[in-house]
Amino acid sequence: MGRVQIGEFEELVLLVVAILHDNAYGISVMEEIENQTDRKINISAVHSALDRLETKGFVRSEVGGATAERGGRRKRFFKITMAGQSALDAVREQRNKLHDQIPNLGLKYVSI
Amino acid sequence: MSPFDQEPPRWSLKFLKLYCKPRALEIIEGDAYELFYKRIQEEGLKPARRKFSWDVLRFFRLRYIKGLEDYNSLNNIAMFKNYFKISVRSLLKQRFYSFINISGLALGLAACLLILLYVSHELSYDKYHKDGDRVYYVANGTSGAWTPARLGIQMKSDFPEVEEIARIQGPFSQTFRVDNQVFKEPRGYNADSAFHHLFTVDFLEGNPAEALTDPNSVVLTQTLADKLFGFESALGKIIEIDGLDVQVTGVVADPPKNTHFRYSYINSYPNESWVTIGNWTGNNFFTYVKLSPGATPDQVQSKFPEFIREYVGPELIKYSGHSSFDEFLDAGGKKTFSLIPMQELHLHYPHLAKSNGSIDNVYIFSLVALFILIIACINFMNLSTARSAMRSKEVGMRKVLGSMRGQLISQFMVESILVCLLASILALGIASLSLSGFNQLANREFTYNDLFEATTLAKLFGLMLIVGLLAGAYPALVLSSFKPIKALKGESQTGSKGNAVLRKGLVSFQFAISIFLIVSTVVVYNQLSFINQQNLGFEPEQVLVIKNADKLAERRESFKNQIERIPSIESIALTNTYVSAGVSDWGYQTMDDNPRSYSFRNMFATADYIKTMGLELVEGRDFNKDLSSETSNIIINEKAKEWLGYDEVLGAKLSRGDGEDYTIIGVVKDFNITTLKRGIEPFIIRLINESGMTEDGWTAGNYFTLKVSGNYQETVSQIQDAWIASVANEPFEYVFLDESFSSLYEEEQRFGKLFTASSGLAIVIACLGLFALAAYTLQKRYKEIAVRKVLGASVKSLTFMVVKSFTILVLIGAVVAIPVGYLTMQTWLSDFAYQISLNNPLLWILPVVGVAAIAWLTVGYQSIRTATSNPIKALRSE
Repeated sequence: MGRVQIGEFEELVLLVVAILHDNAYGISVMEEIENQTDRKINISAVHSALDRLETKGFVRSEVGGATAERGGRRKRFFKITMAGQSALDAVREQRNKLHDQIPNLGLKYVSI
Repeated sequence: MSPFDQEPPRWSLKFLKLYCKPRALEIIEGDAYELFYKRIQEEGLKPARRKFSWDVLRFFRLRYIKGLEDYNSLNNIAMFKNYFKISVRSLLKQRFYSFINISGLALGLAACLLILLYVSHELSYDKYHKDGDRVYYVANGTSGAWTPARLGIQMKSDFPEVEEIARIQGPFSQTFRVDNQVFKEPRGYNADSAFHHLFTVDFLEGNPAEALTDPNSVVLTQTLADKLFGFESALGKIIEIDGLDVQVTGVVADPPKNTHFRYSYINSYPNESWVTIGNWTGNNFFTYVKLSPGATPDQVQSKFPEFIREYVGPELIKYSGHSSFDEFLDAGGKKTFSLIPMQELHLHYPHLAKSNGSIDNVYIFSLVALFILIIACINFMNLSTARSAMRSKEVGMRKVLGSMRGQLISQFMVESILVCLLASILALGIASLSLSGFNQLANREFTYNDLFEATTLAKLFGLMLIVGLLAGAYPALVLSSFKPIKALKGESQTGSKGNAVLRKGLVSFQFAISIFLIVSTVVVYNQLSFINQQNLGFEPEQVLVIKNADKLAERRESFKNQIERIPSIESIALTNTYVSAGVSDWGYQTMDDNPRSYSFRNMFATADYIKTMGLELVEGRDFNKDLSSETSNIIINEKAKEWLGYDEVLGAKLSRGDGEDYTIIGVVKDFNITTLKRGIEPFIIRLINESGMTEDGWTAGNYFTLKVSGNYQETVSQIQDAWIASVANEPFEYVFLDESFSSLYEEEQRFGKLFTASSGLAIVIACLGLFALAAYTLQKRYKEIAVRKVLGASVKSLTFMVVKSFTILVLIGAVVAIPVGYLTMQTWLSDFAYQISLNNPLLWILPVVGVAAIAWLTVGYQSIRTATSNPIKALRSE
């Protein structure tokens, strides 16, 4: 598998989309990130990240029904694709590999 | 209150809609609204609104801003590419029609382009002067060219509205001597030193403010300076002009072609009282004034009556013989000046501008251009609709595949604009080839540079778009309205009655225009030949006039003696002017108890004039040069006798109001002294002595009038030898009166040529259209003709059948054209005192028959070919 091109924020968004599963759209993704990470983010950043992920083929989207709380506008729901799953796996594997290589020295510092 | 009743800030919503890509808009809006409603509940309305705006602003990033493709979908461009390709293919597929269409349109466009060039040139006259709209020409009375020297000076000092004035005289033809080389230079003027404030003059050398302040200064144009000094700096050099040493104080760029004041050099005025102070009675200057910004000519003109009473009145009555100015006014005397905008001089007052402009010509040329363009457009429309049957399947197929009507219209528009584009490229070629011919017609000097100038090309482009859209609109509407099912089944939809009638109507209209133009041509030429054959009252081809006789000065006698010895010269007279050149009018009054005054045409001549001209004396006697009191005697013409109304005119006296009176000793038969547009006017001949002096002691011997018989060329060359022997410096100029008279009709002759050219063009374009239309019609009736033939119709009857339908169109055209032509030509003829009768039926029938014959030739060839072809071929083909 080739190198996975994914940014830090994109990875975060992708993870949240995967977590939310059936209910991932702009605002739910934003709120989930805010709740889980205590980061303050703007909705436009989420949209932009979702768009980028879609162009990369990590998520796909479909348009849902219109509701009153959106002023009669429709939602765009996002779902993670197989490519998205394997990208997450690849990133995770890479991280783990790196983590495993950290020497024990660090632990000593912690114990002091 | 429900949060859903609240609205986010309107402006941010608008802003979002303005910039956001349409495909992302709904989702972004939805999310923003959702957040907005949530925040109302959590944080209150105000922060929610503020944050909504902030979110919208944060969405303003490249990813969501509309791109070009959102405005103009790429699909459209692809469609236009396809339209273009299809247009080229259909043009190539029907090469014959395309050729006729494009070449007809190109001819029309070329004519229009040239005329557009002419018209815009005419309209641009004197527009280049800075503040030229504030410069006015002061006319004497309502349209007199010459004004007194004092007028300008006094106007500047009395009227605050007058910012600057300049007086001009000219054009002169003066003799320049530089390094023993002699040049005769035309287009010379005298001007006041302030002339550059009124006329925009581009000084290349010298100081504009001081160029003409000193006497004996001259300003040369670049061209003349280069000619005289061969590209050396001319500034400060001395030239001998007419025997005076004059210093060059400035070199200016050549004035553009579109000005009435087209100088080649400008002399300063001498520092003498006739210039600096001037008088009120000698009218010998052209006066121009520049009004200050905001001043109107009416303001100045309303002050003239007072102004004239104060300054002109006292001088005037000295000569008129009235005791006061009021009495002069009561006796019906008139004295006034008027301001004429300089920019109108060329077109509206050509006699003041000394130019050959004519607003009528501008209208006539424009009308002709319009006619030709209409004919060309009609061709285009006819051919396109006629051909539409062949395109109907394409239209049907496009409609089935989802073309909207608008798209089909734009397809056919693209096609017509493409045709126009090709036509206008061709037109540019045709125009450049016919430029010199057009220059003769229009009496202008257009060059290729004028033709290929950016502005001219822009005009051509505009013309092309207009024609393309106008002529393309109708076919596009017709073609795009086809019902797809009928079109695909191959049912003809152009056979509808309305279309056929329209097509025929348009063809008739083309013929109407052609017939109108041809009839006009015939009338103009008939009138011109009628005028040339008119008996003028003398034999103009036997009378030779030698100009510049005043330049001979004291050599005049010896020159006269020399030429008297030439055997072919029968008699010689000296005159102050010559007939056909313009004979000025002088006021005389009768010596009755109730004096009547009249402006008679007045000629000064020596005693042999009547004999030389070959005029017939009907009463009284000729001048006798041996009588010393003879200068107070005059000879009048019959018209003058009629005006006087005396039973016995011989011995009656006329007065000039200055104490002198003149006795009538003879009456000559009427003769024409100018263009036959004017009738014969009362005419007086006054005597000057044999050396050309009037009784008042001024020289009036400007021209020699000779009666010549035998070999004219030999005579002229003998006179020339004598001339060169007498004055080497002055050019020998002469004219025969018949030539001089016919040159009076140059404008009319040009008019005739213009009509010939345009009617030729019109008929060619109309025939091109007719030819193609006939081909199309015959193609459609191919089977019908074959069936008729099989059933026994003869070639003759078949040909006649086709030709008849087109002849009817010509006749309808004639019915429209003849009344219009009659009225137009009647107006044109009303200019002439002597006119041909328009009620000659041949004048009208011949052009119609001619046009019909051309139409027969055009249609006949094709119909005979169709009629003689083997009917089996037609019937077998599917």
